[in-house]
Amino acid sequence: MPSNTVHAAVLGSGLLGLDLVERMQNSPHLSCELVVGRTSHSRGLAQAAELGCAIAAGGVAALLDSGQRFDIVFDATNAFEHPEHWARLAGTGAVLIDLTPTSGGALIVPTVNGDQAAAHQHIGLVSCGGQASIPVLHALAQHYCPEYVEMVATAASVSVGWASRLNLDEFVETTEGAIRWFTGAGEAKTMLNISAAAPPPPFRIAMTMVSPGVEQDQVREVVEAAAAAMRTVVPGYRITSCTVTGDTARVIAEVTATRNRMPVHAGNLEVISAAAIYAAEQHALNKVPALKELAR
Amino acid sequence: MTAQSQVIVHDPTLRDGQHAVRHQLDAGQIRGYAAAVDAAGVPVVEVGHGNGIGASSLQVGRSRISDDEMLATAREALAHSRLATLMLPGWATTADLRKAVRHGVDVVRVAAHCTEASVTARHLGAIRELGAEAQGVLLMSHMASPGELAEQCALMVGYGAQAVCIFDSAGHYLPGDVTARITAITAAVDVPVAFHGHNNLGMAVANSVAAGEAGARTIDACARGFGAGAGNTQLEVLVAVLERYGYRTGIDLRRLADAADLAERTLMPVPPTIDSTSLVSGLAGVFSGFKRPVLAAAESQGVHPWDIFVELGQRRAIAGQEDLIPETARTLAGQGAGR
Repeated sequence: MPSNTVHAAVLGSGLLGLDLVERMQNSPHLSCELVVGRTSHSRGLAQAAELGCAIAAGGVAALLDSGQRFDIVFDATNAFEHPEHWARLAGTGAVLIDLTPTSGGALIVPTVNGDQAAAHQHIGLVSCGGQASIPVLHALAQHYCPEYVEMVATAASVSVGWASRLNLDEFVETTEGAIRWFTGAGEAKTMLNISAAAPPPPFRIAMTMVSPGVEQDQVREVVEAAAAAMRTVVPGYRITSCTVTGDTARVIAEVTATRNRMPVHAGNLEVISAAAIYAAEQHALNKVPALKELAR
Repeated sequence: MTAQSQVIVHDPTLRDGQHAVRHQLDAGQIRGYAAAVDAAGVPVVEVGHGNGIGASSLQVGRSRISDDEMLATAREALAHSRLATLMLPGWATTADLRKAVRHGVDVVRVAAHCTEASVTARHLGAIRELGAEAQGVLLMSHMASPGELAEQCALMVGYGAQAVCIFDSAGHYLPGDVTARITAITAAVDVPVAFHGHNNLGMAVANSVAAGEAGARTIDACARGFGAGAGNTQLEVLVAVLERYGYRTGIDLRRLADAADLAERTLMPVPPTIDSTSLVSGLAGVFSGFKRPVLAAAESQGVHPWDIFVELGQRRAIAGQEDLIPETARTLAGQGAGR
């Protein structure tokens, strides 16, 4: 183990968990030491083993029983289990990065407040819809005072697993809360469509902001700048439409996945996986100050 | 279903009709119609935003009054009828369900695209826990085979659905299509099966009769067919036809006809009609909400809206894929398909 890396583990062996493993293998700062699934016969765990990871079955208990010490644990399970994971891991000193749509941790969106990630032991990543919309909405809120913000996300059916389907309430409530927090809007509404269309469509985020004084040219400029910043974290992020009518700005963004394991349409998974790795790297850089200097 | 058997008529006039008036029904309209159909003996009255509770938004249109006010108003006006509402997981949450049940909702329908029954699991369970009747709905059901629908319905029953319903959202079915699907579903589940028709091809009443003959125990219908585009199965006509077939509905048809007159006077600017756009969207099996963007794309590309609908149907486009519309229009224009 090179000394300039931090030790990480992943809870959850779905597509997200496997993508985190691959991203860590490409990161000079993160080393994946263990992937934990629920049951030993899971296909995801076998794939993690093929990627060269140590694996274990039995959930968070298996992680605690491993005898290993982790600097960072990614939670890619579901919103029902996450609170228990935090309760059991907090005392170990590990940083817990939550990819489920719960709202217990400090909410981090890389291009908005990513520099604060290292200050928190419990990090929440809002939701895929939150990660894809808040960079644009927050940027607009620096120039206008939104009264109402609406975000409608559409994800391809094949990219929305069973856990996500059971967590739609948490998706809606956590994302609405985060949008209010990051934009100061008095009211926020979030909806998620799951599209069975074939071929599967890319992850799409339709944002509407009602705010006195919105002006087409400035909105477009602010939105494009936010999108450009977003592309440094998520290369497949683009704005497909940006219009202002009266007090209402409407922006549509699409996210495609650009990595091997991820199907192109799975922008919803890509955007939260990228945010998780970003937050973890902030911790790694903070832990080894010399690295931070080098990275500058 | 044998003659003289009972059919439960489920009336979503005050929910599906909202689509035709951009969700602008007010408390007075809801109170008046609900009281009229209650007096006529309609057993179930469904109320809400057109897309269900929690759906009031800029995306699909804001309701004139809140969900709370709609449900409370209807509850007060319904002395005998059961009160129903609808929700889409991802649009409404369990918190909305709790409020609805507090307002006295007896039946909640949880709706999903015809292949996505798994999203209904949590909310069907939540409704059961809250003590209301939980029903599962499959939307755009013509896009799935009878076998697939039967499987999806069985999943919903496994999640707790006490009845399952297929919607002909695009108004695409012919009676034989309905017979095949209801037959497959009734063979696969042991809960009552319901059918919800749309009238794009003028077949809504005939399709509903076919559903009843194949074993559906609940049929949806709206006064004057009040609903988006071509409208729904026409309630007062359905009840008359069911009676001629020998079904018992428990409804006083004469009073129901008066309630339908009241609906025409107080709820709608004009009763729904099958215009050419509704006709082709039904024929093509395409979501009727595509009408406006299709007309706009046809105009800007100089192609016939009919051709766009036919092409969208071939591509199996569904709600949420509005971006396919301009692309389809451009493709058709490139192929030299003039108006």
